[in-house]
Amino acid sequence: MRVSASARMASRIAACAVLATGVAVGATASAETRLTIGITSNLSTVNPYGDSASHLYGLWGEIYGNLCRYSFDKGGYVGHLAEKWVVEDENTWLFHLKKGMKFHNGTEVTAKDVVHSFFRMSKDPESSQKQNSSRKIKSVEAVDKYTVKMISHKPTSSLLSYICGLWAITSKDAYDKYGAKEADKNHPYGAGPYKLKEFVIGNRMVLEKAEGNPFLRPGSPDIVIVRKMTESEQRVTALLNGEVQIAQFIPPHLLSRVEKSKNSRLVPTSSVEIMFLAMNPAMKPWDNKKVRQAVCHAINREGIVKALLKGQAQLLQGPIGPGQYAYNPDHKPVYDYNPEKAKKLLAEAGYAKGVDVDLYTPVARYVNDKQITQAMVPMLNAVGIRTKLHTPEWVTQWANVRKGKVPFFYQGRGSVIDPGPALSQYFETGVSPRIKFSSADYDKLMQAERAAFDEKKRIATLRQAMSVLTEEAPACFMWTHTLQYGVANSVDYQPRPDGRPYMSEATMKN
Amino acid sequence: MLTYTVKRVIGTVPVLLLITLLVFGLLQLAPGDPADILLPEEATHEDIAEARARWGLDKPFHEQYLNFLVSAVQGDFGESFRYKESVLELLTQRFPATLELTFFATLLAVLIGVPLGVWAGARPNSWVDNFGSVFGFFGISMPSFWMGIMLILIVSGYFNLLPSAGRETYGIAGPTITGFYTVDSLIEGNWKGFFDALSYIIMPAATLGVNMLGILMRVTRSAILDVTHEEFVTTARAKGLSGQVVLWRHIVRNALITIITVVGLELGTLLSGSIIVETVFAWPGIGNLLINGLGTRDYPLITGVVLAYTVLFVTVNFLIDISYGAIDPRIRFD
Repeated sequence: MRVSASARMASRIAACAVLATGVAVGATASAETRLTIGITSNLSTVNPYGDSASHLYGLWGEIYGNLCRYSFDKGGYVGHLAEKWVVEDENTWLFHLKKGMKFHNGTEVTAKDVVHSFFRMSKDPESSQKQNSSRKIKSVEAVDKYTVKMISHKPTSSLLSYICGLWAITSKDAYDKYGAKEADKNHPYGAGPYKLKEFVIGNRMVLEKAEGNPFLRPGSPDIVIVRKMTESEQRVTALLNGEVQIAQFIPPHLLSRVEKSKNSRLVPTSSVEIMFLAMNPAMKPWDNKKVRQAVCHAINREGIVKALLKGQAQLLQGPIGPGQYAYNPDHKPVYDYNPEKAKKLLAEAGYAKGVDVDLYTPVARYVNDKQITQAMVPMLNAVGIRTKLHTPEWVTQWANVRKGKVPFFYQGRGSVIDPGPALSQYFETGVSPRIKFSSADYDKLMQAERAAFDEKKRIATLRQAMSVLTEEAPACFMWTHTLQYGVANSVDYQPRPDGRPYMSEATMKN
Repeated sequence: MLTYTVKRVIGTVPVLLLITLLVFGLLQLAPGDPADILLPEEATHEDIAEARARWGLDKPFHEQYLNFLVSAVQGDFGESFRYKESVLELLTQRFPATLELTFFATLLAVLIGVPLGVWAGARPNSWVDNFGSVFGFFGISMPSFWMGIMLILIVSGYFNLLPSAGRETYGIAGPTITGFYTVDSLIEGNWKGFFDALSYIIMPAATLGVNMLGILMRVTRSAILDVTHEEFVTTARAKGLSGQVVLWRHIVRNALITIITVVGLELGTLLSGSIIVETVFAWPGIGNLLINGLGTRDYPLITGVVLAYTVLFVTVNFLIDISYGAIDPRIRFD
């Protein structure tokens, strides 16, 4: 039989493809259990204090261990390396460490390591966490081997929200022996359930199970590979063909692909990122409360969630939603979709003939951000708020927001478990220039909540503050997204609303 | 030859200076500040001012630029704002990935585009020519991001033939020797690693190379048609040489200079295309690094990556110029 040259070439190509496929598929077949997660954010630095991104706090927490973490199951903070904590007075907190907790090199975790971690976080020039995680704290000292005293600058009842799940506890001995860079790169001894095996900047992180670690669960994977995969099509395809077992953040238009899959499923979680439309009262017409309220009545949020977010969001009736600290389930909706009321409010504000405004949104920063704001434009136009949409690059938009230069913008604020810090940052007078809202009543309530160490009192005060904010409407609070994860059927995993990938919480099915 | 090489090397200095100046200037003009982007939400004005001072951004433009030049001459391209690593180290880690991808894309384009163009040029208006023309236009007009996503959806998603993203399966590749995973695994005799690396590179290389393939096919066809009508071809045929000998020894060889020049010029398009392709396929090269750098206004990183691309482009074109002498003995460099 005679075979043509082209046929021979075709058969070689086919053989190469088959072999390559065999390699790709067979590569994962081994006795060790391996879990790969495709994440959307960057793996920027091996310095555990060098980036303040939520996912990195989670990953470093799995390697180094935290003092405490927030438990969404229990609705409160729970100990991790710390056994318990006591508020001695309104500025003094005592943390009691668990005894016998060991770093991966076998040395014990003691109070001096916590003091050292605070030192690195607040003094390391490469630290990006000093601005949020350690700023409220004046000093940290070791009382004895297992007790740490923290003194805050001012009474801060929400202090745990600056510590729990954020502080990675690193080894002082490793730092003293090798220095920061060498210790982070080649001697990353932690007390968490996983050891750092490989870190390829901007690409991949490989974790290996720390055998015998008390935070491991039966069935926790032996090896965890964290891969940066920014393209959603890529994450979904990789999930469906078995390259990854967990794919973060499946966008609404790709949900059906995972739903139809036989080897994976969608696992939803609510988010603690609040989405809002901010209006800067330092600029006209946003200095008028009635115009701001008109905006809140003009937008058909239900319609947007149904049509553009495919139902993957929960409407907010105030600054926060269910699952977030101090949420009031009895809070009645204030701003329904009511164009007539919006027109009336606008007329009462002196804009009966309408008003021209500029709305700004980033593009591809938040789920369907551009499409959502595009849908808002005709709704606002319909009530007389003639809106021109601007879509600057995120870098430009964020720089301008931070300087308080943007009059009207679509924005998200993540990590809002305890709303105190975020609501202070955006809405309390003089804290940041982003919105330039100022209300004496609101400021007083926020100061009071920080000084309230009685939980019931604090929750009541926070709720009052949020009511003031809802009424004054420096922002229309829109929704929190439902985050959809694609998870292989071979894995049990419930993602967290704060997006922290605690991979020891994932278990492999037999 | 040596004089020519020295002249060319000296000639690249102003090019590199101009490129760095342009990149530096454009970055300064671009809105957005690295400190605004890289510091956490809670950062105060004081924090931002401190970071700007630490990164030297509080200095006037000319001082920043001069500092960069002085350091760059000594091989120090600064430290990435985002990654907190030396830019040179980042480039060293990532450059082989981009080079390997570019090499495979060029190889694919040359191995398919040139023979197809020769075939089409040798048989104008035949079915091969028509097929080649359609194929060529397809390659030229296909946006790489779209083709990349389609390949991921079809080849990986639907047929599950090749991995959708990345450069290797963790744990299969051996130690890094050259940084080219295909070459390293061959040196190590690691066939599993070789086919693994090959399986990852096929789709990105095809996506990146398809445009060049289309152009090469069209250019080769035209060059072959042009040379076919030259008198020396008629003479060769009159001598009684076979069609294949005339085609490959006389026509193709004389068309090669045009083809190679186009390969060199198209390399620029290929390199810029690699930025998109690396993003689509999560390929850990310098294009991917550049995209991340742009998103955070990481000035040292952006400047370093652009310089690396420039050096690569200039070097390849220099090598192509040198190759003219080997192809056409009439060309001398002295």
